[in-house]
Amino acid sequence: MPTHNVITVENLHVAYGETVAVDDVSFSVKEGEIYGILGPNGAGKTTTVECVGALRRPDAGRIEVLGLDPQRRADELHQLVGIQLQQAELPEKLKVGEALSLFASFYRTPADPDRLLSLLGLTEQRGVRFGKLSGGQKQRLSIALALIGRPRVAILDELTTGLDPQARRDTWGLIEGIREEGVTVLLVTHFMEEAERLCDRVALIDRGRVVAIDTPAALAARAGAEQRIRFRPSRPVDLSLLHGLADVTAVIRHGQQLEVTGTGNLLGVVITALTRAGVVAEELRVEQANLEDAFVALTQHVDANHDRPLEVTR
Amino acid sequence: MKTLARTEIKLFLREPLGLFWGIAFPLVLLIVVGAASGDHHEKAYGGLRFIDVYAPVLMVFVMAILSLQALPQILSNYRQVGYLRRLSTTPVGPSRILGVQLALNLGITVVAMLVIAAMAKLVWGVALPREVVGFVVTILLAGLAMLAVGILVAAVAPNPRYAGLIGTLLFFPMMFFAGLWVPQAQMGQTLRDVGHLTPLGAAVAAVQQTMAGQWPSAAHLLVLAAYAVVLAPVAVRLFRWEQ
Repeated sequence: MPTHNVITVENLHVAYGETVAVDDVSFSVKEGEIYGILGPNGAGKTTTVECVGALRRPDAGRIEVLGLDPQRRADELHQLVGIQLQQAELPEKLKVGEALSLFASFYRTPADPDRLLSLLGLTEQRGVRFGKLSGGQKQRLSIALALIGRPRVAILDELTTGLDPQARRDTWGLIEGIREEGVTVLLVTHFMEEAERLCDRVALIDRGRVVAIDTPAALAARAGAEQRIRFRPSRPVDLSLLHGLADVTAVIRHGQQLEVTGTGNLLGVVITALTRAGVVAEELRVEQANLEDAFVALTQHVDANHDRPLEVTR
Repeated sequence: MKTLARTEIKLFLREPLGLFWGIAFPLVLLIVVGAASGDHHEKAYGGLRFIDVYAPVLMVFVMAILSLQALPQILSNYRQVGYLRRLSTTPVGPSRILGVQLALNLGITVVAMLVIAAMAKLVWGVALPREVVGFVVTILLAGLAMLAVGILVAAVAPNPRYAGLIGTLLFFPMMFFAGLWVPQAQMGQTLRDVGHLTPLGAAVAAVQQTMAGQWPSAAHLLVLAAYAVVLAPVAVRLFRWEQ
């Protein structure tokens, strides 16, 4: 993969009156990446990508997209960057085919509307008015409109919010398809599963600041090397047997179940010890830290308010 | 630009209410009023018939519906659903659509007014505006003044429902002074003078003069120009692309 940066953001700062929406955000996106901007609601994700997409003027900081300054070359930037926004719909009576032809007319070298419609599974909806489309179809049309100008970068904001699980999964497949076509994708989301599944790297933003930038797997690992095993012992176990093991840090009893946390080769050590004691671990489950744990760990202040910091898609 | 204009025309034609109130209704009213009022030449109308003084009122009726009802609600709706925001992500930007909407409304207004003038002539023998240049200047100035009012309504209304409400609240007094219920000639002097300071009151008076073959009075044209010049920049400054 080429390591050429197509988006560079340095020390971005945006305030609405006295409210600071984006305090200090820096990151860069390489060509061909699917790059996630992840964070709780109100973290400044949308404001950040609006600045990248030349839709909002930053108060301070430097942005470069495909070698262009969004503030000075907005029209040229919009030729090269396709943007899908939250809550940006079309007139109710505009038909799908008309919308694509209309948006195609805005660009120098548009994609073929028919091909795009079939790529997004909207061929049958060509003559349907926007107001009659389902949520998933509207979302797919919105993606089609973001791609009609054959952009080199696509900015997709909260793409799958409000979609049912099947439509969400279909949309993820589409995004992977877009990348196959060589488009760099900047994806705003607050769904952990989405970021884990799609993104090569994510920038975790909280309260207008970048908290961490890494691959989803590396972020998860950073949240803790701790593993958790849950099982139901086939017969009563002396807890001290488990406590005494080298890699075990805690043992908790939940009714008939035991929860053992620890590091290293936790599973092997525990199972060996149990087998020696003639105990079988039934209903065994192993949990590893994931992006969600990383998210919670890195944005813990939200947790302290007993607020759910994120929506879990599972 | 061409595709944008074509698309907006299609969308306009898909709104049956706009077509009915803006075009069909004034034509029906013209036929009905003409048939009901008969052929009396009234002294109060300077020897003209009721239909002669009423035809210009129906012409500005079209203008009022399109600029006070259609335009503000369309723009407000485009803003509310995020269409203007969506357009701002493209190289074309949302200001084009405002231009297209203004041109479209002005165009439809002019065409509908000409249709009404022609119908009035054909069916009831109402005089055509013989002072053609004066007539064109009048409807352009009146059109600009009313479109400025329309954008102002779209700018201050928080949503399409309010845009419709504000438009309606402006429609009735404006059309009253135009003479929709009482012809200007039958209003008292004070009421008529006040009416001539409103855009549609001045427009009707000016169109009547062009039908009598006269150049419209400078006072009427100045009133129309003043509305356009004063309100247009205010409206454009207040107009927001995003909700």
